[in-house]
Amino acid sequence: MSLDDGERAALREKFVEYARTRDQSLRDELITAHIALAEYLARRFSNRGEPLDDLVQVASLALLKAVERFDPDRGLEFSTFATPTIVGELKRHFRDKGWAVRVPRRVQELHLQLSTVVATLAQELGRSPTIPEIAKEAGATEEEVLEAMEAGRAYRLTSIDAPRAGDNEEEGTGIAARLGDEDERLDNVEVRLELSPLLESLPPREQLIVHLRFFEGLTQSEIASRLDISQVHVSRLLARSLQQLRERGELGGASFAE
Amino acid sequence: MVEVDDEVRLVIPAEPGFLRLARLTAAAVASRMGFTFDEVEDLRIAVDELCYFLLGGRAGLGAITLVCRIGDDGLDVTGAGSWTNGAGSSATPTQLPELSRRILESVVDEYECDGDSAAPSFRLLKRRSAA
Repeated sequence: MSLDDGERAALREKFVEYARTRDQSLRDELITAHIALAEYLARRFSNRGEPLDDLVQVASLALLKAVERFDPDRGLEFSTFATPTIVGELKRHFRDKGWAVRVPRRVQELHLQLSTVVATLAQELGRSPTIPEIAKEAGATEEEVLEAMEAGRAYRLTSIDAPRAGDNEEEGTGIAARLGDEDERLDNVEVRLELSPLLESLPPREQLIVHLRFFEGLTQSEIASRLDISQVHVSRLLARSLQQLRERGELGGASFAE
Repeated sequence: MVEVDDEVRLVIPAEPGFLRLARLTAAAVASRMGFTFDEVEDLRIAVDELCYFLLGGRAGLGAITLVCRIGDDGLDVTGAGSWTNGAGSSATPTQLPELSRRILESVVDEYECDGDSAAPSFRLLKRRSAA
């Protein structure tokens, strides 16, 4: 990727011309000249459970955006300008896939498995299972189960209406679709009055879950069966709601929200 | 005060990125004590809430010391913030917001916290259900 001064000057001129003319062939030329940067950054994110080809594609699209937005008059090197854009898009890609970059695949898989395992055991035992029981059932160590519980927090803050990939048990058709009748209950004036204004910044269905857990005192398992979603999903939604409330200053430590 | 049989101590930088270690540590101790999935989830929420309370927008808070004590009665967790270079003298005391209190009341059996500027701290007790 290292260019000599002559090449750099030539590219700069092309950027100036592209900024003026918006000529497509010039744009393509600029993309080609920098594609190695996109590939290099994409490789930095490989081995995290996503095919390299997909990552290169994401990085290339980000490169395209960067070329289009680059203003050569501001005196910045293109690579300096483009790198954060490309890295940002790559990270977003992982988040869109539902996982923050640092969660190992084994833990991701275990997290997805937790829903089923916890529900099965709860039914068998007639109570919430312990961590060693979950570990045994899932063929994992206790530490892995704890990590997998923690991994629920790595989920991106997606819309509750959006279908989620890879967890088809309860989310495949969109959570909102599954909550149907419960929403009616949330519109109940009484509930709204009590929640307002502390929770009003949350989406209605998450208000309901937070309300049931912290105001009605239902356990996560009870909420799960009441809403017909998995307990792990309740846990995930609660964690997400608390994070949102924190970011909006309803909880302590607002300026430090993760 | 619970009778102390065993103790796990963790010191982390006072930054949100390290709070997962606090949650994990408390969860791991609770797991050893035979807490259920539900109870471990509750504990994680409480530890998170109280650690954020310690951070409380305090610039210069250097570290959080978390102590998990395994007692006959349950798991007792204390957290204390310490300052770098005596920065605490200029810090403003903080209070736990109403919603945080509500949350803590429903996830742990006892909790107390002190937003004192010189030495912010908290303590919680989570009892094991009689399974």
